[in-house]
Amino acid sequence: MVKISVLQHAPSAHLSIRPGDPTPTSRNLDPLMHPFARARERTRALNAAKMERMFAKPFLRALEGHIDAIEVLCRRPGTLNTVASGSWDGGILVHDIAEQKQVHRIQDAHQGKVSGLCFSQDNGLLSCGVDTNIKFWDISPRDEEVQQKPLHIFSGKSPFNSIDHHRSDPIFATASNIVQIWDETKTAAVSNLTFPTATETVTSVRFNLSETSVLGSIGSDRSFTLYDIRSGKAERRVTMQMRSNALAWSPTLPTLVLLASEDHNLYTFDVRQLSNPTQIYKAHVSAVMSCDWSPTGLEFVSGGWDRTVRIWKEGKGTRPEVYHTKRMQRVLSTVFTADARFVISGSDDGNVRIWKAKAHEKLGIITARERAAIEYRESLKERWKYDQEVGKISRARHLPKAVHEAAKLKQTMLEAQRVKEERRRKHTRAGESKPKAERKKVVLAEQS
Amino acid sequence: MTRTQKKFKSAKKGRPGSRPAHYANAREKARAAAAINDVYEDLPEKGRRNTVGLDLDKHEGQGRRHHSNAGLDVEGRDAERPSARLLGENEEDEQLGSDDDEEIDSEDAFEDSDEEGFAGSSFRRKRKESSSHQGSGSEEESGSEEEGEDEDEDEDDFQISASESDSEASPEALTELNAFLSTLDPEDNKKRKQDEEGLPDSRNKKRRILSERTEPGEESEFGARGSGTLKLDDLLAPLASTSALATLKKSTKALTSSSAKTKTLPAPLPQRAQERLDREAAYEKTKEEVEKWNTTMKRIKQAEHLSFPLQAEPATRVSNLELAAKFQPSNEFESAVDKLLKSAQLRDEDITHTESLKMAHLTVEEVAARRAELRMMRELAFRADRKAKRVAKIKSKAYRRIRKKQRERLDIPVEDEDMDEEARMKAEVERARERATLKHKATGKWARSMQGREGLDQDQRQAIAEMLDRGEKLRRRIRGEDSGSESDKGSESGDEELDEEGIRRKAFEELENIRTEGEGDTSDLKSKSVFNMKFMQEAATRRAREANTQAEELAREIALELGDAEGSESGDITENAATQNTSVVQRTGGRISFRPGASAAATSIAKPLGSLASDTSSVTLQSADLVQDVTPQGRHSPTPTLTAVTPLVAAPEPNPWLAPVALSSRLARKKNEAVVHKNAEISAKSSNKLKKQVAKGEEEKERARDDAILEVEVDNVLTIPDPPTTSSSARKKGKKPKRQNQPSTSAELPADDDDSDVHSEMEEQEGAAGQSVNAKGVKAFQQRELVALAFAGDNVVEAFEEAKRQENESDAPREVDTTLPGWGSWGGAGIKKLPPKPHLIKKVAGIDPSSRADFKKAHVIISEKRDKKAAKYLVRDLPYPYTSYAQFEKSMDTPLGTEWNTRVGFQRATLPRVVKKMGTVIDPLEKLA
Repeated sequence: MVKISVLQHAPSAHLSIRPGDPTPTSRNLDPLMHPFARARERTRALNAAKMERMFAKPFLRALEGHIDAIEVLCRRPGTLNTVASGSWDGGILVHDIAEQKQVHRIQDAHQGKVSGLCFSQDNGLLSCGVDTNIKFWDISPRDEEVQQKPLHIFSGKSPFNSIDHHRSDPIFATASNIVQIWDETKTAAVSNLTFPTATETVTSVRFNLSETSVLGSIGSDRSFTLYDIRSGKAERRVTMQMRSNALAWSPTLPTLVLLASEDHNLYTFDVRQLSNPTQIYKAHVSAVMSCDWSPTGLEFVSGGWDRTVRIWKEGKGTRPEVYHTKRMQRVLSTVFTADARFVISGSDDGNVRIWKAKAHEKLGIITARERAAIEYRESLKERWKYDQEVGKISRARHLPKAVHEAAKLKQTMLEAQRVKEERRRKHTRAGESKPKAERKKVVLAEQS
Repeated sequence: MTRTQKKFKSAKKGRPGSRPAHYANAREKARAAAAINDVYEDLPEKGRRNTVGLDLDKHEGQGRRHHSNAGLDVEGRDAERPSARLLGENEEDEQLGSDDDEEIDSEDAFEDSDEEGFAGSSFRRKRKESSSHQGSGSEEESGSEEEGEDEDEDEDDFQISASESDSEASPEALTELNAFLSTLDPEDNKKRKQDEEGLPDSRNKKRRILSERTEPGEESEFGARGSGTLKLDDLLAPLASTSALATLKKSTKALTSSSAKTKTLPAPLPQRAQERLDREAAYEKTKEEVEKWNTTMKRIKQAEHLSFPLQAEPATRVSNLELAAKFQPSNEFESAVDKLLKSAQLRDEDITHTESLKMAHLTVEEVAARRAELRMMRELAFRADRKAKRVAKIKSKAYRRIRKKQRERLDIPVEDEDMDEEARMKAEVERARERATLKHKATGKWARSMQGREGLDQDQRQAIAEMLDRGEKLRRRIRGEDSGSESDKGSESGDEELDEEGIRRKAFEELENIRTEGEGDTSDLKSKSVFNMKFMQEAATRRAREANTQAEELAREIALELGDAEGSESGDITENAATQNTSVVQRTGGRISFRPGASAAATSIAKPLGSLASDTSSVTLQSADLVQDVTPQGRHSPTPTLTAVTPLVAAPEPNPWLAPVALSSRLARKKNEAVVHKNAEISAKSSNKLKKQVAKGEEEKERARDDAILEVEVDNVLTIPDPPTTSSSARKKGKKPKRQNQPSTSAELPADDDDSDVHSEMEEQEGAAGQSVNAKGVKAFQQRELVALAFAGDNVVEAFEEAKRQENESDAPREVDTTLPGWGSWGGAGIKKLPPKPHLIKKVAGIDPSSRADFKKAHVIISEKRDKKAAKYLVRDLPYPYTSYAQFEKSMDTPLGTEWNTRVGFQRATLPRVVKKMGTVIDPLEKLA
């Protein structure tokens, strides 16, 4: 045998001995050995920003199955992977996001479009349609034959636009031309909660997630209405400049409600103070069709008629993350997953798309070292965002030409409007017309 | 809700032009309704008041008759009430009749129910007014009114919400309301107009007119005006003759009774107004409910780090006890086991039960004793168990061996007792052999056997000790040593082997020891520590010196002894050395003193005996001269034994000029001081101190004078080779020779001192060096001149100033004339120099010299040119959350990376704000019960 001499590494020197231990680092503690700290960190920050843009690949998968546009999406509470989608063709699909496949398929669930979907407590799926019916489906894993028939049918008098289930109790609310509360065990509506003078269609209704007896609805009369099922009353109505298309209650800030408006903006309102929104979110270049909060309550997603999905930070009214693909059409419904890592969008082209909530996030298992490196990069980016180069790189987003042009045009129009307003003011008597804050313009009237 | 808001809202609604009329109509009706309400409330109270104070009422009536014209105010109010009531009564009839149509009526009344919130508020105002009216009546009544109000509030929830308007009903609103009310009556209106012409105070006027109008009505059975109010009794009075009166009275009792229970309810509000109020209230309630989340939301918003899910339950481990306590048999097997245990009465509770049964017939003391016993047993068992376990763990083979032997030995003594003769003989033989073979050790066979034994008697133990001693002695002899030189002196003291020589040698050895010890101390001083500091060094040297003196004395003594024994030649020499008049150079406490040997000898006599040890402490109390040591000590006397043995042959000649100087300047000065002993009284000490302080000032002056007039000859220079170690020491030492070396400049000395204070340390050092150089001669001057020669033409300062001026000029704003002469201008005869055209003057906006960064800084030039490369990295504006550049700078100051931080610091700094665990469902916030 030839004797082989090897360099020997003691594993204890560079590996953690026990699983929980930190990795032993060997570094020279002498500060003189590490000069130019700022310069080096800036370079790192720059690299981090570049890497972020390089690895920003948010689109994961498109799930097919619907023939027509997807009207509504809903995620099953308490699960990570189950999402149901309802389409204009009247079909309902239940998807498994993790496996990226269909779990259930209910064809012709409704005549005409499926306008609302929500999960009930145990394996139940409630759907409503413009055929004035609410159907209760059992989606427990059985053979397809059984699933094609609903367990119950609740019939209403007018086409339903939206349905939402109470968080814990077996009751649900529907929106047609009135807002009704139903009990799962009863065939007729339990109560009507409509504002007395409201005559127009209610387009959407949602239960508050934490303050579970509080409801909000939006209508085609440009209104947002607040209800409480304890008092059984519509409590307050706010009429705005433009109608809203969707609403969502914040899961961690229970007083906060998000409205996706037709005027390209999103608004958050505090229900204690409905006279003006707490924040306006401006970036869409067309009507916002849908919105949903992240379970953390610090982010939300919105889908617009401008064929983009945008992810916003709560309280930051500009520069959202923008997602778009070539083939994605008007986004009519968006949903965050329960772990706040993915975003699901349903669009006019009949596809359900899965996106990462953080575009550059690495999926899969991440070691402790890698995580430390990622966190370091993130904090470097955060710290150096005021640097010209770093900021420029991390701000830059590619937009489809149509969207870009529309944004420019919108900018021009708004500017022109502003100038006109200014001139008008200049030519009126001094102090006659004061400029009005943008927030104050949103609400026309608040009614009790 | 205020009325203005309502108006605003209605205006916003933008309904057709018929609105105002409509609105007025509705308002009117609402007013009417309110009036009705008022009446409803008024009626029972009135009845009550009548029952309470009927005579008073009559009195009032009389009073009114008396003051029909005079008491305007009271009358006016009194008069109005009936009128209002009358007005109400008509309406009441309508209402009561059309109970079923009430809704329709109200609907009519509030066609524009969207914008009418005034019903409640106006109603309240009316009530207020009425109550204020009643307030003028009597106190009792007002009390009852309040009661009534309380009840009202219980009954109708709309009043809760409307209570805001209640509070805000201002006097303005009241007058407005009055005006409005008065407009309701067309006739009244006319009258009012007439009145307004006559009297400006329409309020009082109006009331008076009303009363005027009603008073002169013709009296009939329907319009009786006798006693003010018409009561049910009055109506029943005509029936007094009939027998049915009693039953009738009984049936009308409910009507007449004034108790609060039978009070009639106020008329309900119109449905829509009611609903609005309900909605308001419900909204307030919801707000209140939602408000409970406020703190949570605030915390979430302000949190530096959030870990989702927020309401995750902390994972806890279930203890065995908990499991056992909660156990319920769930399946068949478990229940079967449980049943068995139950039948056998072996479950925990059964066992305790039986135990308690057994305990039942014992006394308390017995139980306690038993328990104590049990506890003791348990404790002992436990200890034994623990010890056994510990012992069982020991793996050492040696220990095992010893253990084994011990165990064997434990068995042996049983035999030992009856050791037979033979065995004893054998042991004896063994011992003899051992002794013979010189195996005088503890390792011999016999010795070991003896050691192991537990119960040794006195003889045996002695035998062993003896043997060991013997062995030791023998071994020593083998080595060829004397037993006396060995360390165990005590044991050998009995031996008479020591002679005088030995003693002497020992003594000298001891001396040597002392000296080497001192030297070791000095060598230690080289190390860096506290001992390296000056005062410590000094202390150490002093101690060494003491040791040396001790040694010396010892040596002298020995020598004396020797002298006694052998001869007296060396003794004479030492005496000579002591008595010889030699000068002594001595150093104490960092000061070198020069003294002739005679004086030293003289002072040695004066020296107190105990002062040798307390040298340093006595300095302050006793004059330093008295504490001088006997023997000459210095750097050049490292071997005291040598000095002791050999006389001071090499002692220098007495310096003739040194002695007088030392005596005159120092000793004389010190003589002024009083000697205060350590043990002296405190008062004496303090007085002495005072004296000293006074004397000190004078002394200082005197000394300065002395120094100034010090006259020493230049030629007689005593140079002490003392190279400066540190700057301070150099300074001190440099000064001393200076005084002696430069007597000619001694007059300038104080000035020189001042200078040295002003100048920097460098210069001082230089000066000191210069002094030392001076001693050598004029070399320094030569050096300087050389340097000056070398840099002769180098005008650095001027060159710098010039450069700065140029820089300033080149950057300064200037105007450049860009005219190109000749192009298109006349170049012929009579040419004239024209001023440059303004459009051809180019202005270069430079930097004004006064606005430069180096303005008024003579020593620097700061370039004002923009650094293009650095500009890339600059942040132009202060970013949002920061309020100052310093803040921003500070935030960017510390790097984040691992190279510059500890591991924990790095982790803390890079911890993201939101942490989500992969694959966990984040549920919305939930109300926790």
